[in-house]
Amino acid sequence: MDSMWIALSAALVLAVSAIATAWAQSRIGAAGAATLAEKPELSGTVIILVAIPETMVILGFVVAVLIILRGGG
Amino acid sequence: MIIPMAKVRILGPRERMDSALTALQDFGLLHLGDASVVPGLGAQPSDSRQARRERHLRRAVTDLMDALRLVGAPPRAEPAMRPEEIDLRHVVRMARKVARRARALDARRVALGEERLLLERYRDFLAAVRPVLQRLAGSPRLTSYAVVIPAAAKDALKTLNDALRAEVGPDFATASRELPGGDLAVLLVLPLSFAQRLESRLAESRVPEIPVPAEYKGKPLTEVVPAMLARLEAIPGELAVVEKDRRNLGDTTRREMSRYLATLQDCLTSLEARRRVGVTPRAFALEGWLPYSKSGDLRNMLRDRVGEAVVVEELAREAWAAEDAPVVLHNPRLFRPFEAIVRVLPLPAYGSIDPTPFVAVFFPMFFGMMLGDIGYGIVLALLGMWLHHRSRPGSLMRTVSEIAGPCAAFSIVFGALYGEFFGDLGTRFGLQALWFDRGESVMAALALAAGIGAVHIVVGLAVGVAGAWRFHRRQAIGRGVSGLMVVLVIVTLLAAFDVLPGRLFTPAVIAMLVAFPVLVAVEGFLAPLELLATLGNVLSYTRIMALGTASVMLAVVANRMVGAIGSTVVGVLFALLFHLVNFAIGLFSPSIHAMRLHFVEFFGKFYSPGGRRYEPFGHWHPTPGA
Repeated sequence: MDSMWIALSAALVLAVSAIATAWAQSRIGAAGAATLAEKPELSGTVIILVAIPETMVILGFVVAVLIILRGGG
Repeated sequence: MIIPMAKVRILGPRERMDSALTALQDFGLLHLGDASVVPGLGAQPSDSRQARRERHLRRAVTDLMDALRLVGAPPRAEPAMRPEEIDLRHVVRMARKVARRARALDARRVALGEERLLLERYRDFLAAVRPVLQRLAGSPRLTSYAVVIPAAAKDALKTLNDALRAEVGPDFATASRELPGGDLAVLLVLPLSFAQRLESRLAESRVPEIPVPAEYKGKPLTEVVPAMLARLEAIPGELAVVEKDRRNLGDTTRREMSRYLATLQDCLTSLEARRRVGVTPRAFALEGWLPYSKSGDLRNMLRDRVGEAVVVEELAREAWAAEDAPVVLHNPRLFRPFEAIVRVLPLPAYGSIDPTPFVAVFFPMFFGMMLGDIGYGIVLALLGMWLHHRSRPGSLMRTVSEIAGPCAAFSIVFGALYGEFFGDLGTRFGLQALWFDRGESVMAALALAAGIGAVHIVVGLAVGVAGAWRFHRRQAIGRGVSGLMVVLVIVTLLAAFDVLPGRLFTPAVIAMLVAFPVLVAVEGFLAPLELLATLGNVLSYTRIMALGTASVMLAVVANRMVGAIGSTVVGVLFALLFHLVNFAIGLFSPSIHAMRLHFVEFFGKFYSPGGRRYEPFGHWHPTPGA
């Protein structure tokens, strides 16, 4: 039973952070595409802006790994 | 590094202005400022003849660029002619003639392509009915029609047969064949006397005849089909001739057009430079920047070519603002390709620190830590060598290939440390991790990522201190204390978790308690928040571990496909495909994330953008392609 809760918690952490990242990237990506249509020279800045929310899912992944490892899963 | 610049003012009698400008254009190192706005000087009076000439020059340049694009030959580096040698009308006439010829060849190529597509669509049908039509050629009382029945109305064939039987009786024959796309081509053979009735029936029911090229319209099928099949065989030859003509056109005109283009661009650059000259009734003045080490060369060059009457005065550093000076990055050969990564952002301000050397060390290191596989590293090295061989110096592809080299080297080194060769494939042949296995020791990978992140952030803060020390002492102290606090927090945590000796814990905490008020005093009440953000930045480096673990897991899954799927051959093919996908992800993802770690976490500690591009007044050169 314990391992089920551990797995579920890890999955939940990753899922929520992935959804948050996806939502943020969709908004930033759309705005970035519009920006690039007008100012292609801002491609570097747009790439960075799109990559910024990935921190959420990456930290989510790290926390999920910690839950599994520390939880003895 | 950002090379030191000197600001110079060139003064001379007005009649020497043109020769001075020509000499400066040949020199090619002076980034011109606008001397016409200097108090006491004025711009040259506007000249309608010159404005008209400039318009004509621009139009000729556009014509030449169009012509070169149309013949598919980018301009190449050719020495410019003297402006007076060029006949603008001849250039424009020539460029337009070449463009017209290229357009005509293009149109011919497109028409031949369309004709071939049309004929290929009916090729099988035409080949199948050809013997029937040959027999019909000897029967003057019979006629034939070839029609197309759309895919959506295939039942119409039966309806057509019924209608013909009712109209003509049993004296007709049909043959059909399905065309690519599902339509049905049908050959109808029937007595000539029924031709008119059939045509009106076909028109009423809107069944189209097979489209034939314009020159065969109205001719009987017995003549048209063999001609169409012969035409299909002739088209590739004609296309080859068109392509050869186009190539010849490019080969014969490219050099001349490139030379004209270089000359006209030089004229335009020179006109632009003239607008930046400040004048009085008797004298002219020019201002600009050039690398400090070249100011002596400029003085000597002008003395030799224009004479002693033109003098070069070097302005004192206090007389010009750093933000007006152009920025030139100059790094050792090994680091130079990484300038391309720095240039993704606006250039660093003049007088600040060029981050290229740090990027050249940390970027491939982070990349290698994430990819970390001997096999993938070797493939990347081979790919880089191939790109290097295929690209021209100065092109984007050459830069990418030069960045790929160090990235591949670090991937191989970390691959050996992690014991990875295409995932766990090496382990099956006895390869052992020299340090730790990423697949098993996730915590070790996490600690390594966070540790390298802390080092990177502290280096960034140290660079920030060095950069700000000269002009913003208080800011420099603040950054220094922030860096110290980061180190102290890490030491405290490591001592608390027994990674470092426990006796370090108390001194580290005391040092933090002392440093914290200093930080608040120097940086203000927002300093604690800044410190938290900096510690958050360190956590951001855990992406190195996350992406690395994902990469190794994908490689392990790829290897497990061999044996998991019934057939070994299919398993190997799937494994190769999976490795290919993983390799593609392994190139893209670490690049983006290593860039992000630099731009957001590292540059945030010291980088001051706002540098102006160094665009020296010189001769025009075509942009190097891939």
